[in-house]
Amino acid sequence: MYTMEYYSAIRNDKYGFRPASSMAAASGAEKEKERPGVGGGGWGSGAGAAGGNSTRERLLSALEDLEVLSRELIEMLAISRNQKLLPPDEENQVLELLIHRDGEFQELMKLALNQGKIHHEMHVLEKEVEKRDSDIQQLQKQLKEAEQILATAVYQAKEKLKSIEKARKGAISSEEIIKYAHRISASNAVCAPLTWVPGDPRRPYPTDLEMRSGLLGQMNNPSTNGVNGHLPGDALAAGRLPDVLASQYPWQSNDMSMNMLPPNHSNDFLLEPPGHNKENEDDVEVMSTDSSSSSSDSD
Amino acid sequence: MAAAVAMETDDAGNRLRFQLELEFVQCLANPNYLNFLAQRGYFKDKAFVNYLKYLLYWKEPEYAKYLKYPQCLHMLELLQYEHFRKELVNAQCAKFIDEQQILHWQHYSRKRMRLQQALAEQQQQNHAAGK
Repeated sequence: MYTMEYYSAIRNDKYGFRPASSMAAASGAEKEKERPGVGGGGWGSGAGAAGGNSTRERLLSALEDLEVLSRELIEMLAISRNQKLLPPDEENQVLELLIHRDGEFQELMKLALNQGKIHHEMHVLEKEVEKRDSDIQQLQKQLKEAEQILATAVYQAKEKLKSIEKARKGAISSEEIIKYAHRISASNAVCAPLTWVPGDPRRPYPTDLEMRSGLLGQMNNPSTNGVNGHLPGDALAAGRLPDVLASQYPWQSNDMSMNMLPPNHSNDFLLEPPGHNKENEDDVEVMSTDSSSSSSDSD
Repeated sequence: MAAAVAMETDDAGNRLRFQLELEFVQCLANPNYLNFLAQRGYFKDKAFVNYLKYLLYWKEPEYAKYLKYPQCLHMLELLQYEHFRKELVNAQCAKFIDEQQILHWQHYSRKRMRLQQALAEQQQQNHAAGK
């Protein structure tokens, strides 16, 4: 009986080894037709194990079948011419198979054509997609740049605002500043007197003498009769002593409101009762090297 | 009545404290005094260090305007650092600071002298050129 299996066998014999799947594909010819053409894989990829699925494979196998069938037919005709032994059924069978296979082949060709068109469209679309992709990437880059620039701008604006706030916070009237500048320069506290020479006892800080004659120094020296006892004979220094340390601001006046006073959270430097006033006293005591005036009752 | 009296004494106490702290913080501008304190170990006392930290309030403008020797603020800031306090035990350190302070103190007078000299020279040149 001339069946497809028979012809596949012949084909395998004639053409050598074929992948097993294509044999199975050949026997399941009906199944093949129903398989979706697109799922038949790449038009160009007839590779290896995927075998009979691709349209190309199917086309090729159809072609081979046709070839085999036509060869059989011709051989049979040739034999029947010599031999007069007519197996009419077989001829018809072969013919029918041939026609059938040809029909399949034609359909496969149409399928292939469609697939080609689709593939072409796919290609066009892919190109389109690529173009769009690159557009999107370009846009993304630009957006990122924009974001960076904006972030920088925002940051700088914030910094500016911060510094504005800071400046506003520290705003002082120019008059006050001028007054203060005048005060500290007039007394040579920040700028040396023009006639200063080495040997001049004046200094940019309160000197020993001045410290002792200030409030701190006087706190433990109630017995000293004024400052004249300690003078080195420099009239200049003497003349400057009385107001040299204490602020020239009339602090006996009521101008100094309560909120000018030093912050009062300071009583616990050691987390223990003794306040800092005691420390001032200690300093002053120890500072005066004149033994007659020191009265150290605490240590 | 008692409350008013109490307020008054409190006020007086605060005023005294203000003046004392004002004097003390300005004394810190004197490097010799700082050396004195360092050598007697005051800087090792934690309470004293805390006191120095407390004194930082003099940096606020409303308090700073009472300072006659504003250099004391810089010294106060430096005193917050342990390393500086340790260094002050050396007399050379205090001497160096003293010298630098005095030199800086003379900065403006030097500048003025230079300007005056330059002006004098220029006048001389003009005079010579005029003749």
